[in-house]
Amino acid sequence: MASDKDKVDKESFARTQTGVAEAEEETEGYTFCDGCNEVPFCGIKFYRRGDVVTRIEPWPGFPASPLCSKAYATLQRLYHPDRLKYPMKRTHPKGSSDPGYVRISWDEAYDMIVGHLNRIKKEYSPHAVFFYVGDPKEPRAAVQRLAATYGSVSYGCESSTACRRAAQLAEFLTYGFPTMGDLPTEETKSMLIWGTNPAYSGQPFLCHGRLADAKERGVKFIVVDPRITPTASTLADIHLQPRPATTAALAAGIMHVIFEEGLEDREFCEKWIHGIDELRDYVKDYTPEKVEKITWVPAKRIVDAARLYATHRPGAFLTGAQGTTHDLNATNNHRAILMIPAICGHIDIPGGLPKPTEPLVEMDGPWADGPPKFCMRDKMKGMREHRLDLEAFPAWAEKLFEIQTNHLVEWIKEGKVKAFLGWGFNTMIWPQTHEYQQAIGSLDFAMAVDYFYRPQTHDYVDLVLPAAMNYERLAPFAFFGRQVFGRTPVKPLGECKEDWQIALEIGVRLGHPETFFNGDVEAACNDILGLWNISYEDLRKNQVNGIGIPAKGPALYRKYETGDMRPDKKKGFNTPSGKIEAVSLILEKYGYPGLPEYKEPMETTSEYPLILISGSRVPYITHSKWRGDSPWLLELQRDPLLTINPEDAAKRDIRTGDEVFLKTAYGQMRVKAKPTIMVPPGVVGIMHGWAKANVNELIPRQFDPISGFPPYKEVVCEVVKA
Amino acid sequence: MARYGILHDLNRCTGCMTCVIACKQENFTRPGVWWNKVLELESESLDRIVYFRYACMHCDNPPCVAACPEQAIYKRPDGIVLIDQEKCQGHGECVKACPYGVIDVNPEQDYFSGQNPPFEGIAEAHRMHPPGKASTCTLCVHRIEQGREPACVEECPSKVMVFGDLDDPKSPIREKLWRSEQLLASKGTQPKVSYVFPQNTSKQVEQRVMKNPRMDRP
Repeated sequence: MASDKDKVDKESFARTQTGVAEAEEETEGYTFCDGCNEVPFCGIKFYRRGDVVTRIEPWPGFPASPLCSKAYATLQRLYHPDRLKYPMKRTHPKGSSDPGYVRISWDEAYDMIVGHLNRIKKEYSPHAVFFYVGDPKEPRAAVQRLAATYGSVSYGCESSTACRRAAQLAEFLTYGFPTMGDLPTEETKSMLIWGTNPAYSGQPFLCHGRLADAKERGVKFIVVDPRITPTASTLADIHLQPRPATTAALAAGIMHVIFEEGLEDREFCEKWIHGIDELRDYVKDYTPEKVEKITWVPAKRIVDAARLYATHRPGAFLTGAQGTTHDLNATNNHRAILMIPAICGHIDIPGGLPKPTEPLVEMDGPWADGPPKFCMRDKMKGMREHRLDLEAFPAWAEKLFEIQTNHLVEWIKEGKVKAFLGWGFNTMIWPQTHEYQQAIGSLDFAMAVDYFYRPQTHDYVDLVLPAAMNYERLAPFAFFGRQVFGRTPVKPLGECKEDWQIALEIGVRLGHPETFFNGDVEAACNDILGLWNISYEDLRKNQVNGIGIPAKGPALYRKYETGDMRPDKKKGFNTPSGKIEAVSLILEKYGYPGLPEYKEPMETTSEYPLILISGSRVPYITHSKWRGDSPWLLELQRDPLLTINPEDAAKRDIRTGDEVFLKTAYGQMRVKAKPTIMVPPGVVGIMHGWAKANVNELIPRQFDPISGFPPYKEVVCEVVKA
Repeated sequence: MARYGILHDLNRCTGCMTCVIACKQENFTRPGVWWNKVLELESESLDRIVYFRYACMHCDNPPCVAACPEQAIYKRPDGIVLIDQEKCQGHGECVKACPYGVIDVNPEQDYFSGQNPPFEGIAEAHRMHPPGKASTCTLCVHRIEQGREPACVEECPSKVMVFGDLDDPKSPIREKLWRSEQLLASKGTQPKVSYVFPQNTSKQVEQRVMKNPRMDRP
């Protein structure tokens, strides 16, 4: 493989060098960053000579701006000599130490894919082909259309594995609409930030700068995070540092104080919360003193936080995609947090926690998930009975259209999944990664689309396809609320193709040329843009400022009183009871407890006295990406670093840079230690996604019974000097 | 004539490293050479971690100028301190003379061992860094001359930095200037880069810099 790849690299670079020589004028171009897997994207303006991108800067006036370190590094990544530039197929049997990848043509690659898909459909079932989109999220719409047309309900993504969906499920069950909160407005008096560090993980339009401005305006901040994050350091008036995975107890403690002192919005509670009496009863036991024992948060601080948030009205709220859902009580922990702004009456009021007015109905959710019509979601819903997660996670399967993927190992073993088509996927997302690697390696056929060869995934598949990068993609375009923007790609390096094109061309070769626009990416985009009577050409004509899709009226609040909260226009919230559900009727229906109950997490022992949290971000890495993708970023951190409190480090004679073993009952690994007060005593933290020290091998395949999420922030561990 | 400087409000800095990589993209410095650094200070007494951008101070009284045997370093009328890349012979005297430890000599190696990205072949002068030459922040003089701010200032997502003419009463840099302090002021360097420190951290930040001004990354 190595010699073949070298040859490919040299050819490709000879080509790009020629491209420069031929180019004369420097011109401008526009694209988005895919550096952190957030959608909507941050806007990049770039300068090009011919098809060579020379420098970049923030897209002036773009809603998500400025850029971050990862965005600047996309320029270096674009011309990394190790980029995949040609389709490659394995020539050695799976399980060989060297897969023996050789360059093949796109025709041969497509013939392989289509051959397997047609055979599996005939011999087994179309649902035995699993379609998956990891990082970036960009190909989701095109891949869903492919799955639906082929006839498989088996579509999942990283969000439906370990990221956003557990919190979103909690939000659907509790509020009836998804929300991660919003930035404070001019009206906002207090801000509750729970389990997220927007300074490092927030999209720039939700960025730390806007929060810092609010702080300077006098907004009071409560930050809940076990770690001393920069968000806590720079913003918090009150910083609560709970023991990981004790969220529901801390939330119960805060609600206890609010009810006890009569600080709740009584009218809202009585009128709009289903199960308010049960909730009141439930939290009665959770006195600040008891909660201090459970969560480590001093009782006085719990009282202070409860008073501050309930009395500084309106209170805004911000939570993360997954900071609060990586434990075995994920859904209920998150539901418990959601009840705090609810009992304070902060829901859907200006400066509080609003539900956006008139989101684009044609989109029915965030753009990243794809518009339902284009994604053929009705067809997918019609195949619901074939969902593989129907029995294990019924509440999930009722509310979310993607499959919860964590049981993939079992499905493959049981012969329910025979092939896996993955765009930007990485096996390290799953706990006990090696089980997923072996399972994927045992499939009839597996395919990956990516930018680089990533051994921890691609060693287990049959076919690796080279994806065009952000400067080389036309699709997707970007949506911000009601504003839409296009991009102006350069020609991809080598034979790279953009994700959408690959999905469309597979669809064409499966025998659906019209459904897949004869492989024309712009035509596919136009099919969606046509919902608002615009085209990509219109986007080009309005390149810098984009096109606004006018709203029918101004932002509305307290929409539960007017019928604007529910699709059927009845008053109330879009839940079975029509109210915010402290007691969830859907959960009760499936035999779960209705209240957001606290469940004691895994207990520390003398053998494993520390708690391991992973999954928190550093600002220049996303998941398993980056590292060597851009040497600029790799220079900032070459190795996985285990953060450990100086007190715990001293007890173990561990100093900065020492090699240590991190051990849980499920695995161990060798890493470097970084003693720091960022983590409290008793807790250690490490970034996930390092191939040379994959922390998810230390996490068991145990799952929250409602959402199926793994305990990335709960497992007990020990650290010893190597 | 203007007298350019940068003020940092460290109450807003999160250590996100955007300035570091924005500078890399803007100036293409070589591996291991960071014109923009971000250092961190852990203060157990204050229960917080303070991050601060750290780079050439563009001193009004720059010790590097006198230290250079080739007279390659000069201060422009607008206060920007630059190293003349033609005259510099890489003796490294400036590296020793700078109390802030923010000058490096360019190493031989590049990022992709000779397989350089195509844009490097057509890069502008400010993006070329021959090995063996002394190298430090130019305050993005090429941008200032086009009426723009330095890349690190413009790109900071948390708006930590304010760039401006210290002598212009109307410059936004003057708003917080009275609250700001200079690092190692006792050395007599008269730096034009200053900091608004979170309460009770200025001494500790200074000690942190004295201990190790390099951005040593594991």
